[in-house]
Amino acid sequence: MRTFQPSPSKPAPLMSVGVLAWFKNNLFSSVPNTLATIFIMIILANVLPGFFDWLLFSANWSGETQDDCVKDGACWVFINAWSKQFFYGSYPSEQLWRVNLCLIMLLLTVLGSFFVNKDLREKLFVPLFLALPFISILLLNGSWIGLEPVTTDYWGGFSLNIFLAAASIIVAFPMGFLWALGRRSQMPIARSVSIILIEFFRGVPVLALFFMGSVMLPLFFPEGTNVDKLLRVWIVLTLFMSGYMAEVFRGGFNAIPQGQYEAADALGLGYWQKTMLIILPQVIKISMPNILATFVMLFKNTSFLMIIGIFEILSTTQAALSNSYWLGGHAEEGYLFVAAVFWMVCFGMSMIASSIERKLNTSHKN
Amino acid sequence: MSVLPTSSSQTAFYNNPQIRSVIYQVILTLALGYFFYLIVSNTLANMQSRGIQSGFAFLDSTAGFDILMSLIPYDATYTYGRTFLVGILNTILVSTISIVLATIVGFIIGVSFFSQNWLIRTLARIYVETFRNIPLLLQIFFWYFAVLSSLPGARQSLSIGEVIFLNVRGLYLPDLIAEAAAGYVYAAMAFAIVGVWLVKRWAKKRQDLTGQQFPVFPVSLAMLIVIPVLALVLTDMPFQWEFPVLRGFNYSGGITVIPELIALAISLTIYTGAFIGEAVRAGVQSVPHGQTEAARSIGLKERQIMKLIIVPQAMRVITPILNSEYQSLVKNSTLATAIGYPDLFTVFVGTTLNQTGQAIEIVFMTMAVYLLFNMIISVVMNLFNRKVALVSR
Repeated sequence: MRTFQPSPSKPAPLMSVGVLAWFKNNLFSSVPNTLATIFIMIILANVLPGFFDWLLFSANWSGETQDDCVKDGACWVFINAWSKQFFYGSYPSEQLWRVNLCLIMLLLTVLGSFFVNKDLREKLFVPLFLALPFISILLLNGSWIGLEPVTTDYWGGFSLNIFLAAASIIVAFPMGFLWALGRRSQMPIARSVSIILIEFFRGVPVLALFFMGSVMLPLFFPEGTNVDKLLRVWIVLTLFMSGYMAEVFRGGFNAIPQGQYEAADALGLGYWQKTMLIILPQVIKISMPNILATFVMLFKNTSFLMIIGIFEILSTTQAALSNSYWLGGHAEEGYLFVAAVFWMVCFGMSMIASSIERKLNTSHKN
Repeated sequence: MSVLPTSSSQTAFYNNPQIRSVIYQVILTLALGYFFYLIVSNTLANMQSRGIQSGFAFLDSTAGFDILMSLIPYDATYTYGRTFLVGILNTILVSTISIVLATIVGFIIGVSFFSQNWLIRTLARIYVETFRNIPLLLQIFFWYFAVLSSLPGARQSLSIGEVIFLNVRGLYLPDLIAEAAAGYVYAAMAFAIVGVWLVKRWAKKRQDLTGQQFPVFPVSLAMLIVIPVLALVLTDMPFQWEFPVLRGFNYSGGITVIPELIALAISLTIYTGAFIGEAVRAGVQSVPHGQTEAARSIGLKERQIMKLIIVPQAMRVITPILNSEYQSLVKNSTLATAIGYPDLFTVFVGTTLNQTGQAIEIVFMTMAVYLLFNMIISVVMNLFNRKVALVSR
C-alpha cells in the first residue's frame, strides 16, 4: 500500500520574508525609491560622521576652564562649568535643597495622583495640587517661615521654567474650566465676558502679554505698590494659559453626548452637581491629550521670558556665552544642551499624550 | 402641629433658576464694574503722578531713530506713526514668506510619512519630533548666533554663479528693474491666468457632458509659459537685471536680505513646518482605507486617487489646523525682537515705547493689529474651509 509521503517543505522565498525582503520592500522597491535611498545614504554618510565626531569622539569632557578645551570637538566643559546656573540660576548654593524639595514635592504629587484611589485623590491630592504653588513660594522665598530670605531676583535656571509652567497650569486649570463653562452658559453677560476673555488671551501674542505685564500692570495697581516681577509673569502666564485651556475644555464639552446632560437632569441633579460629578470627569478624560499638548506649548513658551529679563535657562545660557572667561564661541554647545533639555521634557509629555490617545481611541482601524 | 406645603410651586425665589441667573449676572456685572473702576482710577492716578500724557498726539511727532529695514521710504525725520506702518509691513513680510514656505515644507513632510521608502519615513518622523519639541526662540538663536554669524565676511562671500552672494551681513540677490513697456508683459501674464481658468472650466464642462478628458495640465503650463514669453519677445525685453557688486567693504545694488530676516524666516518655517507636517499626516490618515479601495475598484489610477479622493477629504481635517498654525506663526513672529528684526513689536513696542513712554496706547495698538491679523487669517481660512467642507446634498 502506498502511503502519502509529504515532500520536504521548502524554505520561504528569500525575497518575501526576513531581512532581505524588508530591505527590498522598504528601501529598494522601485527605481525612484532606490535612487532616493542612495541619495539619502550619501548625504548621511557625509554629514553624520563629522557630527558625531564633533559631538562625542573629539569632544572635550573633563576640565574646569576654557583652556581645557584643546581638542577641536565640542567643549562640554562649558556645560559642566555652568550646569548649576543652568539649572538653579543664582540661587544660593547652600539653600539648593529648598529648590530640590519643591521639585520633589511636585513630582510626588503628580506621580501620586496616578496611583492612589479615587477617594484619596479627590480629598488629598487635588487640594495638595492647588496648594503647591503657594507652599513652593513660601519655601523658595523663605522669609515668612524663618528661613534665609531669597528674593525672586536670585531664582532662575531650568527649575524656574518648571515652576512657572507648573504654577500657571495649576491655577489655569480651574480658571479655564470656569471660562469654558461661562462660554456655554445661557446667561448673556457671563457668556460674552467669557468669550472676550478667551479670544483676547488666545489672539494676542504671548510676548505682547508679557510686555503688558511689565509696562502696564504696574499702572493698574494703587500708587506705591511694588508688584514682584515674577508675580506679574505668573499672572500673565496663568491668564494666557486659561484662554487656551478653556478652548481645550470646550472641545471636550462638545464631545460629550447630549444624553449625559439629560440623564443628569432626569436624576434631579443641580447645575453644579451635574457639572462636577457627571460632565467634568468625562471632559478631563476626553481632553487629556490636548491638555498635555497645551502644557507642552506653555512649557516651551516659558523660554520667551528671557526677552523681558527673567533669568530662565535660555537667558542664563546667553549670559554664560557672553562671560569674559568663556568667549571661545560655545554657542553650538550651549544651544544644543538647552535644546536637549527642553526636547526630553516636551517629547516625554507628547509620548504620554499619544499613549493616552491610543488608549482612548477604540474606533476600528483603517 | 406641622403644616405641609400646599403646592410644589412654593419654592424659595432664590431657587428659581431664572431669578438665580439674573442675580448671578448682576453680581458679575457689579464685580467687573468695580474691577474696571479700580484699574482705571489707579491708572489715571499713576499716570498723573508720573507725568504721562495720554492720547495719540505722539504719533505725529518726529521719531528720530533709524530702522534697520523698511519696505517704504523711511528715515529718522519721519513720525512715530510712520514707524507703526514700517513695523506692520515688516511683520507682514516675514509672516507671508514663512507661511508660504512652512506650508510647502509641511506638505512635503506630511506626504513623506506615507512614502514607500523607510529612510524617508524615518527622516520625516525625526524632523517632526525634533523641531516641534524645541522652543522656537532657541531655534531662532541657533540660526542667528550659531549659524549665520559664522558665515564668512564680505570679501570671502559664498556665491552662486557670481550672481547671488551670501555673507555675514546678509543675502544679496539680483534685482529685476522694469522699464515702461513692462506693463504689456504683466497684462500678458494676467491674460494667461484668465485663459487657464477658462480652459479648466470648459474642460470640466465637456467631461461632465461627454466623458471625454482634456489634458488640462500640459495645456495650462504651455499657456502660462508661452504667452508671457511671447510678450517679452515682442516688447523687446523691458526688464534689466541689477546685480549686487562688491564696492569697498560691502555689496551694493540688487536686493539685500538682512540676516535677521533670514534667521527668523528659516526658524519660523522649520518650526511651523513640523506642526503642519503632523497635521497633514493626521489628515491623510483620517481618510478611511475603504475610500482608497473603492477608488481602486472603480479603476482610478494611483495619482487620481490621491488628487480626487484622498486630498479633498484630508483637507477637511487639515484646514482648521492650518488656520491655527498660521495664526500662531504670526504671533510667534514677535520673537523677532530677540534678534532685532524690525517687525511691529521691535520697532513699536520696543523703540517707540521706550522713547515716548506711551505704554497703554502703544501696547493696545499693537495688540489690536495682531488681533486683526488673526481675524483676517481666520476669515480667509474659513472661506477656504467652506470650499473643502463636506457638501451634503
